[in-house]
Amino acid sequence: MLQSQTMSKVELVAPEEDVIRATETLAVSGVFHPVHGEGIAGGEDTTDNGWREWAAGFADLERRILALMESLGVAAGAPSVKAPHLINLAVAKLDVQHLENEAQVYLRQLRKAQQHLKDLDQYITQLEPLAGLDVDLGRLRNLQHVFVLPGTMPLDNLERLRTSLEHTPFELIILDRADYLASVLLFGAQQDAVILERAARSAYLHPVHIPAEYRGTPAQALKSISVGRGRTWRHIVEIQDKIEQLQEARVKHLRYLLWRVRASRKMVETIIGYEHLRYTYVITGWVPTAELPALKKAVRKTSENVVFEIKELAQEDAAEIPVIMSNPAMLKGFQGLVTNYGYPSYEELDPTLLLALTFPLFFGIMFGDVGQGLLLALLGGLLISRKIRSLRGMAELGWVILACGLSAICFGFLYGSLFGSEEILTALWIEPLKETSDILMATIGIGIVVLSGGMFANMVNAVRNRQWGGLLFGHHGLAGLLFYWSMIGLAATSFANVLPLSPVWFGGGLGLSALLLIAAEPLGQLVESRQPLIEGAAGAYFVQATFELFEVVIGLFSNTLSYVRMGAFAVAHGALSLVIFILAGMVSPGQGIGYWLVVVLGNLFIIGFEGMIVGIQTMRLAYYEFFSKFFSGSGVRFQPLTLIPPDK
Amino acid sequence: MGASTVSAYAQLQVRVRVQYSRLLTPQRLQELMQVENFAALLSSLLDTAYAPYLEKVDRSLLTPRRVVYQLRCRLAASYEKLIKFTPDPGHQLLMQLWSLYEVDNLKATLRGIEHQSSWEQVLYLLSPGEKYWTVTFDKLQDMMRSDDIATALEVLRSTLYYEPLAHALNRYQDEESLFPLEAALDLDYYRELWKSMQQLTGNDRQQALRLIGPVIDKDNLLGAIRYRIYHRMSTQEIINYTLPFGYRVQDAHIRAIAAGEDIGAVVRGIYPRLLLAAVDFEAAPGLALRALEVELNRQIVRRCRIVFRGAPFHIGLPVAYLLLHEHEIENLTALIEAKDSRLPLEMIKSVVDFMPLDSQLERS
Repeated sequence: MLQSQTMSKVELVAPEEDVIRATETLAVSGVFHPVHGEGIAGGEDTTDNGWREWAAGFADLERRILALMESLGVAAGAPSVKAPHLINLAVAKLDVQHLENEAQVYLRQLRKAQQHLKDLDQYITQLEPLAGLDVDLGRLRNLQHVFVLPGTMPLDNLERLRTSLEHTPFELIILDRADYLASVLLFGAQQDAVILERAARSAYLHPVHIPAEYRGTPAQALKSISVGRGRTWRHIVEIQDKIEQLQEARVKHLRYLLWRVRASRKMVETIIGYEHLRYTYVITGWVPTAELPALKKAVRKTSENVVFEIKELAQEDAAEIPVIMSNPAMLKGFQGLVTNYGYPSYEELDPTLLLALTFPLFFGIMFGDVGQGLLLALLGGLLISRKIRSLRGMAELGWVILACGLSAICFGFLYGSLFGSEEILTALWIEPLKETSDILMATIGIGIVVLSGGMFANMVNAVRNRQWGGLLFGHHGLAGLLFYWSMIGLAATSFANVLPLSPVWFGGGLGLSALLLIAAEPLGQLVESRQPLIEGAAGAYFVQATFELFEVVIGLFSNTLSYVRMGAFAVAHGALSLVIFILAGMVSPGQGIGYWLVVVLGNLFIIGFEGMIVGIQTMRLAYYEFFSKFFSGSGVRFQPLTLIPPDK
Repeated sequence: MGASTVSAYAQLQVRVRVQYSRLLTPQRLQELMQVENFAALLSSLLDTAYAPYLEKVDRSLLTPRRVVYQLRCRLAASYEKLIKFTPDPGHQLLMQLWSLYEVDNLKATLRGIEHQSSWEQVLYLLSPGEKYWTVTFDKLQDMMRSDDIATALEVLRSTLYYEPLAHALNRYQDEESLFPLEAALDLDYYRELWKSMQQLTGNDRQQALRLIGPVIDKDNLLGAIRYRIYHRMSTQEIINYTLPFGYRVQDAHIRAIAAGEDIGAVVRGIYPRLLLAAVDFEAAPGLALRALEVELNRQIVRRCRIVFRGAPFHIGLPVAYLLLHEHEIENLTALIEAKDSRLPLEMIKSVVDFMPLDSQLERS
């Protein structure tokens, strides 16, 4: 649990004819984390053997399939391919072309029919205001002295058109307004026709000419347009039915094609990332050591010509080894909090277990209440049970809430607090509201233990990484711990005289550890047999190291005091609960229904609002005060090669 | 202004000031102007804040066009960063300001389709940075794959640009010119930009008007003059292709130009303190327009610089920085093209206007 899975570095050497099958095998195994080398373009041999062209071809094809799916109303859906093989690009292109042609027949018809319907609607809009006129349309079309221009134009241009014609007699009648367009009739004198036409055109007034086939009075024309409209509408429905049939018939094929093409593109792009020399490819990556035999067997089964080699770990590999954190399900929520900060590097302790111990502890100290803790624990249990469909994704977080709730219950008993009331239970340890300085001192004590624990964890990391200098003389190593304890001891004996040792001992320890910390770099270099002992001028180094020591003092001091907030929140929690009972008493002095209503609402408020703030403070203490002592978070997450995105 | 907005602006102004300090100084720009040729200019640019964007591409591939594209990558990064950290409604304003490049990309793509260019020919004429755009490069590529403009516009069906373009399509088909499509896009863009500014309140609105208003003024005024002088448009057409709003350029000014009044007099009426005494729009329209454009640009740059000396909690700061950055890239683009064409220094000075140092401003 404290350690990530052991990894091995492997190198596969594959001839070009086997590189695709080797990549497929690695992807299917789900245990190969590829390391991208210089890639095809970065290698000595700059020819890419056509892979880039393939990648572009697949990307283009993927876009076309998606466009086709969109026009047919088909969603991409879940991956329909389990073990993908590279699809033949030329065949896939033909396939897509065929599907496009098949769909385009109907899509074009649909567009045409929809445009026709739109035109007919515009004719209706233009003619409806004239429906009462008993004049033949033919005469309206050939007016001698009056200029009439029916059409549609953007709403935003209406005022501008009016402004532009301020010196010309005209009338602009708005027949209808839609989201973007207005149907209008522009009237004027025939002698101003040129001016009016240029103005209308520049205002994007698109003329609607009612075709000559619609004859008679406007009312008669409207009747025949309505008949045509009905016919067009039925035609549209027929086309849509055909498109729906096509969609049903092709949906599986389209999805299959999409995922095959997508996987092929990913595969080609992965191959582009390999190093190669002419027709030989070198595939490098990381595999969990436990999975090595199975992977080796699978690769050998793929081809006899692929060389599978396990590489010796080099010093420079350390930073790039991916990490698989192995924690039980109940710790996954805490693991999520850790990865939110960063991944542990390969030789670093996985702090999930430490967080799972300290996080609920901090929370419980700040939020100690039996009743409220019980509600939180129940909420956690509910999330873990996955009974509510919409909250299923929060099951891992449920464990964190459950642990915090249980811790709050324990501290509730220690504080004697039940739903904010301190009258019902007897405090087993302390009453924060009455013994404020004691709880504050206690939390500082807890802070000292936690910080010391952080430094111990750092020393374990230093041993694992063989950083002897850091272990002995680091700020968070042995010298740092001695310095910290001496500082605490000196303060404790000087101000409170609570320790059996004389302050002189602690003063001596402080002085010795300070000297070790100042000389940390040369001593570290000496222990690790490295040269030079000091880089640059010695004087400058010691001045800098002395100032850094001040920083260490301030850092340790503020980190320790930071834990006072746990005590302060415990006091605030008690005070807030007290306020709720005072308010309840004011609302209903006789402890009627109003009293209990305020108590219930107050408790809910505390759980929601204060619970959230305490959660944030807990996270802050974990991330900044605790993790910063030993956890770099600079690790690389294990991301196995996959050609199909995982199902969400 | 709420505490959260003040806090958001406080963080934002730190980011903006950091970015502002990384703009090229006038001295550095003068040095760039003096270099011998395009290769030397490229080497000098590799020593500036543009280096990370230029280094992403193999040096052998850095043609003048590609260099400009890479410079724009930095502008895109600036826009994306500031859009992300600006609180609403300033956030919306920056998005709208940024969409000018989306509109330009659309125009370049339409031209590409018209001239039957390949995607590769068009790609590096575009502006990168599609994070906040509805018209992504994928969509533009799909448009390029179309045989004609009408089919290409279908790709835009789900975007805000579809309606203005689809309505203007009839005119494109009648006139066989992209002008109606481009003008429709421009009008739509400026109207939306103006609306975004109107949605702001208090100091934010005032600052936006002070900085973006002059940009709209410049484009509107120069557009009206060009329509009259070069396109010989009628009064009605000029009015319909221009905007009725602005910061100092009002509808009355545009109408006066459209009605054939003396352009010089109208311009002097709008900007009485502008140093344009010698320019004559009737005798030498090209020179006059260039001189006016340079002066208006300088005015915008000056306004942007002043913003950095005032109160920080408003939208003016990111807007000013972005306008200055755009100005810098426009000038660098002109310089790259000039150096690539081996124009003599004197001629370069006439096409490149490197944020002149306003001595009074710099001293104070």
